[in-house]
Amino acid sequence: MTAPVLETEKLSMVFANGNKALDGVDLTLQPGRALALVGESGSGKSTCAKLLTHMLRPTSGRILFQGRDVTGLSGRRELLEYRRIVQMVFQDPFAALNPAHTVAYHLARPLALHRPDLDRAGRDAEVRALLTQVELDAGSLLHRFPHELSGGQRQRVSLARALAVNPAVIIADEPTSMLDVSIRLSVLDTLQRLKAERGIALLYITHDIATARYVAEETAVLFRGRVVESGPTAAVIDGPRHPYTRLLLSAVPDAGRPFDAGGSLISRADAVRRLSEGPGDLVYVGPGHKARTVDERVAA
Amino acid sequence: MIAPLLQVRGLTVDYATPQGATRAVDGVSFDLDAGEVMGLAGESGSGKSTLAFAIARLHRPPAHVTGGSVTLAGTDVLALGPKDLRQWRWREVSVVLQSAMNALNPVLRVSDQFRDMFRAHGITNKAEVAERSAGLLGLVGISPDRLRDYPHQFSGGMRQRLVIALALALKPKLVIMDEPTTALDVVVQREVLEQVADLRRRLGFSVLFITHDLALMSQFCDRVGVMLQGRLVELTTPAAIATGEGKGGANHPYTRRLWDSIPPLHSSEPVRAQPDLVMP
Repeated sequence: MTAPVLETEKLSMVFANGNKALDGVDLTLQPGRALALVGESGSGKSTCAKLLTHMLRPTSGRILFQGRDVTGLSGRRELLEYRRIVQMVFQDPFAALNPAHTVAYHLARPLALHRPDLDRAGRDAEVRALLTQVELDAGSLLHRFPHELSGGQRQRVSLARALAVNPAVIIADEPTSMLDVSIRLSVLDTLQRLKAERGIALLYITHDIATARYVAEETAVLFRGRVVESGPTAAVIDGPRHPYTRLLLSAVPDAGRPFDAGGSLISRADAVRRLSEGPGDLVYVGPGHKARTVDERVAA
Repeated sequence: MIAPLLQVRGLTVDYATPQGATRAVDGVSFDLDAGEVMGLAGESGSGKSTLAFAIARLHRPPAHVTGGSVTLAGTDVLALGPKDLRQWRWREVSVVLQSAMNALNPVLRVSDQFRDMFRAHGITNKAEVAERSAGLLGLVGISPDRLRDYPHQFSGGMRQRLVIALALALKPKLVIMDEPTTALDVVVQREVLEQVADLRRRLGFSVLFITHDLALMSQFCDRVGVMLQGRLVELTTPAAIATGEGKGGANHPYTRRLWDSIPPLHSSEPVRAQPDLVMP
């Protein structure tokens, strides 16, 4: 087992209005591996991303980068370096790129800032190499503007922009949920290949647990700010132990199976949510596989 | 034999551009029966939303219907004048759009939005409006005391249910849903659609359901149409797609590619990603 790149210990975030967005979350990101953080709207997934990228400060708990406590990181130089190392890819491919600039500009700018060793020709070559890495054709796309690209192409440019500064961690917050189903897999495939080739630790945030298998070795299921189940992705998907994980799995569109055949989900969803909010501890249910205990009486 | 509720024949929609007309919908024909749920699948740019908008007469320049006909319950939809159109829309056909967040007016209480809609259709009696609004909220499983609330006080799923309640207010024969759950997470998506399926059984309206998610469509629809470059290239049942048996013995190759790009949840060996589905 290699040393983790990024870890959280009992990470918690309570907003000023008293809303507990994250409650004692432990996560571990390993180089060259991906962790899928799965949950519904309001589960705390995006708060987690904001804490890890230092856009927000946690109310308690620690963030460790290569074993060093970076929770209270301050100072411009240190923050800049941290934000280079931990890069984000956002959900909305239409909002993440500046509509007034070309693809080449989006990639050359981070290189100019973070790779002062490169001269102009070196930078141009690197821009082309980055586009090739994300499987885009540099020749035809270099001087295009974002509005001239498809959603999938834009998301690939966002990924290339993140790679430009040679990060150790990429946090991808719903990177494919705004793309057509038909092109999601190919974008996920690229993410999966790059993290392995470049030894990047990937945090893949999604509400669609079905896609976790394509990218992530490990999966953690988040509900109302708490991890309710975590472990190897195959174990979590094929042998879910927590009722909320089962609910998520049963809600995934299941091709060709009419709604009625699965029984009504509406009637169960609220009961499962109540159950999942109750007290309970994370206990081992298999190798590396943990689930939070539930009190069945709560649902009744 | 009773005539179908909706008959679309050779419908063609062009967008006027400085470079000339671009054909977005190209000679599409299909029937939709009363009480039927039909899905329209296709990727971004396939013309599915343009088609739906034209059926509801919601298309605006630069989009122009340049051919074909739309008949709903005997009415020639494309011939309706402005005044008739205002009454026809919502009474006969209502529309639920993708972003429920933007479909409700953020500065008006929910009750006021129901009131405005009823008033636009000549229902002004306060007691009647209050009673029907409360009934509609109950229909979609939201407590009627929440009529006083503003849209931002509801979750995304509840807002989409409010929009669905508004769409059902005048008991339309057809509800067009354009990506109604794309912005919602999978659990909420399933909850909302199960509710629509249940309401359809009770109230008997038809649904034209538009999405790029063929897997979801196959669970929810009686029939599925697949659009590619403005043409309806396939019209079949979910079961026929699942088993790979189209009308002529095999599905259109494009339908197969869309189907094969669905990530199966359980499989010992992950399928390899399909190449980007670009226009052939």
